[in-house]
Amino acid sequence: MPATSAITKTAKRPSHTRGAPPVPGRRRREFTTRRGLMIAAFMAPAAVFVAVFTYYPMIAGSQMAFRNWKLTDLTDTSWVGLKNFRDVFGDPIWGTVLGNSFLWVFGSIVPQLVIGFALALWLRRRFRFRGLYQALVFFPWAISGFLIGILFRWMFNSEFGVVNDLLEKAGLIDEPIAWLADPKTAMIAVLIANIWYGVTFFAIMILAALQSIPDELYEAAALDGASKTRTLFQITIPYIRTTLALTVLLRIIWIFNFPDLIFGMTGGGPNNETQIVTTWMIKITQQGDYGRASALGLLVVATLLVFAVFFLLATREKRGVKQ
Amino acid sequence: MKRRTAALALGSAAMMVLTGCSTMSPGKDGTVTLNMVESLTNPARSDLIKNLIADFEQQNPKIKVNLISPPTEQADQKIQQMLQSGSGVDVLEVRDITVGPWSNNGWLYDMKKDLGGWKGWKAMTENAVKAAEDTKGRTYFVPYGFYGLSLFYRTDLIKEAGFSKPPATWDELLEQASAIHDPAKRRFGYAFRGGANANSNATAVIEAYVADKVDTANGYKLTNGKPIFSAPEAQDALKTYLKLFKEASPKSSVSWGYPEMVEGFSNGSTGFLLQDPEVIATVSESKSIKKDQWDTAPLVAGPSGKTVQPLATAGWGIADGSKHKAEAVKLVQFLSQGKASTSFTKKNSLVPILKSAIADPFYKTGPWSSYVTMTEHPEKYLNVSQPRGVAWWTEWEQKADADVQKMVLGKMTPKELLAGWDAYWTKKWQREK
Amino acid sequence: MIGKATAAGRTVRFAFLGLWLVFTVFPLYWIIVTSLKAPGDIFAFPIAYWPEHFSLENYRGLFGKADFGTYITNSLIVATVAGAAATAISMLSAYVLARFEFRTKSALLMAALVTQMIPAFIALGPLYLLMTDLSLVDNRLGLILVYIAVCIPFCTVMLRGFFENIPDALEEAAMIDGLSRFGALFRVLLPVMKPGIIAAFIFNFVNCWNELFLSVTLLNSDSNKTVPTALNGFISSFNIDWGSMSAAAVFTILPTMLLFAFASRHIVQGLTSGAVKG
Repeated sequence: MPATSAITKTAKRPSHTRGAPPVPGRRRREFTTRRGLMIAAFMAPAAVFVAVFTYYPMIAGSQMAFRNWKLTDLTDTSWVGLKNFRDVFGDPIWGTVLGNSFLWVFGSIVPQLVIGFALALWLRRRFRFRGLYQALVFFPWAISGFLIGILFRWMFNSEFGVVNDLLEKAGLIDEPIAWLADPKTAMIAVLIANIWYGVTFFAIMILAALQSIPDELYEAAALDGASKTRTLFQITIPYIRTTLALTVLLRIIWIFNFPDLIFGMTGGGPNNETQIVTTWMIKITQQGDYGRASALGLLVVATLLVFAVFFLLATREKRGVKQ
Repeated sequence: MKRRTAALALGSAAMMVLTGCSTMSPGKDGTVTLNMVESLTNPARSDLIKNLIADFEQQNPKIKVNLISPPTEQADQKIQQMLQSGSGVDVLEVRDITVGPWSNNGWLYDMKKDLGGWKGWKAMTENAVKAAEDTKGRTYFVPYGFYGLSLFYRTDLIKEAGFSKPPATWDELLEQASAIHDPAKRRFGYAFRGGANANSNATAVIEAYVADKVDTANGYKLTNGKPIFSAPEAQDALKTYLKLFKEASPKSSVSWGYPEMVEGFSNGSTGFLLQDPEVIATVSESKSIKKDQWDTAPLVAGPSGKTVQPLATAGWGIADGSKHKAEAVKLVQFLSQGKASTSFTKKNSLVPILKSAIADPFYKTGPWSSYVTMTEHPEKYLNVSQPRGVAWWTEWEQKADADVQKMVLGKMTPKELLAGWDAYWTKKWQREK
Repeated sequence: MIGKATAAGRTVRFAFLGLWLVFTVFPLYWIIVTSLKAPGDIFAFPIAYWPEHFSLENYRGLFGKADFGTYITNSLIVATVAGAAATAISMLSAYVLARFEFRTKSALLMAALVTQMIPAFIALGPLYLLMTDLSLVDNRLGLILVYIAVCIPFCTVMLRGFFENIPDALEEAAMIDGLSRFGALFRVLLPVMKPGIIAAFIFNFVNCWNELFLSVTLLNSDSNKTVPTALNGFISSFNIDWGSMSAAAVFTILPTMLLFAFASRHIVQGLTSGAVKG
């Protein structure tokens, strides 16, 4: 790596070892050219990659949102202002898509969090075969969303699917349910698939956080005679609050932006009942209307950005308390 | 492409830092490599094309062909992306529904001059020659075959249900399919199309019902100049069609597109399937139903006993950005004549483009005979052009598919659907004038 | 954990764990059973929960017709190289973000978060044109470069957590001993961070292994395709062959699943010392 060889020299005598002692709680505040160069050099590879392959295409794609950009007719790609946005808001299925997106996000995240939390709490204690158990229940995270969509599409198949067969055997239903073809059940089916997939991430993150809680805290609580519920709410949750908040934020962003599973399972159907913003975007792209798809994409980024800022502000104080 | 220069420079820098220069090897010793992209991909067909390419490469040792087979659902989008970038594609599959927009964008090469003295034209059927030219006399693709609908049916199942011959009309189809239908046994009457491209079968039934009054130059128009959806017969058509869904189709077919329909028939659970001839090849390979359990019948008719055969076509064209047009033309010619064309249409079960192929005994036997019946009786199976080349075709398909799905889910009545479609086409035609 | 578990509590706990295990593993079981059924039996009714006739037909078809071996090799190459490179690059940026205070820091972190919000579909068109200009379309190297960029933001944030958990004293001591900062990073911090680095690599690998839309866009030739691209082709072309689909799915799941199974303890252990601190 030629880019980094220079740094090793410039960074030989780090400046912070002399001069004013570091401010407590904050690290090294001195400003020197060397230090600045080093920061730049260490950041450069990551920044270049992300700038070229993520930000540049996004920005280049964004301008299409303000133009008449249809692959079916590229003879006229003039600037049209906010027309594409108006088209999105004016589309009769916009309301459905928006509603579905929120249902998709919160219908996935709440059960994922609750189950993931429970799993992590119970996995924290040692028991026989815990390692094996962990290996078995954590694997869904290793599968692609698209493939999960297909697996569950096969299982929820109304004619030959195993889900109907099991429910019939259990006497819960009399005749097969057309899970993915019935507007009432399609969303339930995709949510079940997503819960199956996403619990792992919460479980891993929370389990890791739980293991970083010093045992002394619990010992002290036990000496005080605190009940389990109190221990949970007064020690466990406050201690891992940061992890919880950040994991929830990240997952909300990811799930909102996660068309793969629905794409593989229902393609957004039937009658757009499982259409979320990002699957709709795929559909519009497939029609060749890049302008409208880009407008939709910008709306996604804007929505998530606003949400993330509010979320971070709302959880900030509590994080301060912890640290 | 100035906008991209900065990013390009950065990108190249990143690349070099990370990996050192990657080597690009342009063709040495004068060998030309053609990139050929197919659109209606399926594994069996890709193998077939690869074999044809091997023959071509043997005849032309200086030309190599690299076949690119994107998955069908994304293929046209992918091809558009390649065409827009101006590189990476020489020969490509062009369809009747894509030729309009693509040529309009200047992406396709007009082969008219190159094919001026070509002997191949003489061996072709009239339909094929006609399809090779657009309204302005330009040749953007040479068709490789035609797709038309016929009725795939299970001989054993209709016999069991007490019928001696396959249905000839939509009403009979409804009757027979309902008789076969028994969801408790996982046996279904009809492989309904409610998902992707649902509009095609819905318009097929409507066209059958208005066959007496349809404009042969435009299958969506009546002789009185109004859209076919305005005819009172269209309502009867959709009522029958809706019944076919409710009384004889699996519930999940609300979202069935091409793959699901074909699978529904070839896995042995469904009695009837309305599909293109290319499906013959797939069904023949089925592990669930044997050769003597199924056959095809001509497309079912409306109450007048007539029906409209909505022929669709596709063929091979050349990208305007291709740097090897002469070689590309050679490949297109090779694929469009003689043995290559015959074996392509035979093995892919298409209505052939060559006169000689139609006389082939192959097309007179088995599942194929129904196509011969249809071509031999043009008074009953009307040969009507479909408006598949219009600029708004993709938009229309999206709208129409959504509407059909709404109708079968009970969120729209046939009457509302037809009123909407009638208004849609009336408006489009008015704007065109 | 402290507090004696009551008998009832334990029953609830194990019932929950048992149920969740069944729910999690059943789909995997089902896909394996489907893949091992003879092609004609998959649609037999009533449904068989154990193959009546075991058959490897679906697998044979997979490697005979579809050249699945090539796809797996491609995926392995792409995911390994991109995953490793992204981890290495992210270590540098994570280190700086953990050890220094500077003005643009929070902006950089926000920029990393924003990358997670960008829907792939807004960028696909321009990305394709960019890659055409770089002659990197239909090229595994091209896909690797893009994947590195995709992995970096999350990986950086994750690794930053690990660095923050390692006391400064460790490398300061090393630097006093005459090692450069870069040297300190490599020789002192790396060994300490091993579980964290493994965890980061696995996350990257899994992400790259499973990515669909970018690979579908950027790869054309059969010989370059990755597994998800091929799977996508299986489902959308012609008819859905659930038999070969299932066989392909088993092969797609296996590598990442094994990786996860072997490393799940590392992942948790690695994360315990890091990322979660935010």
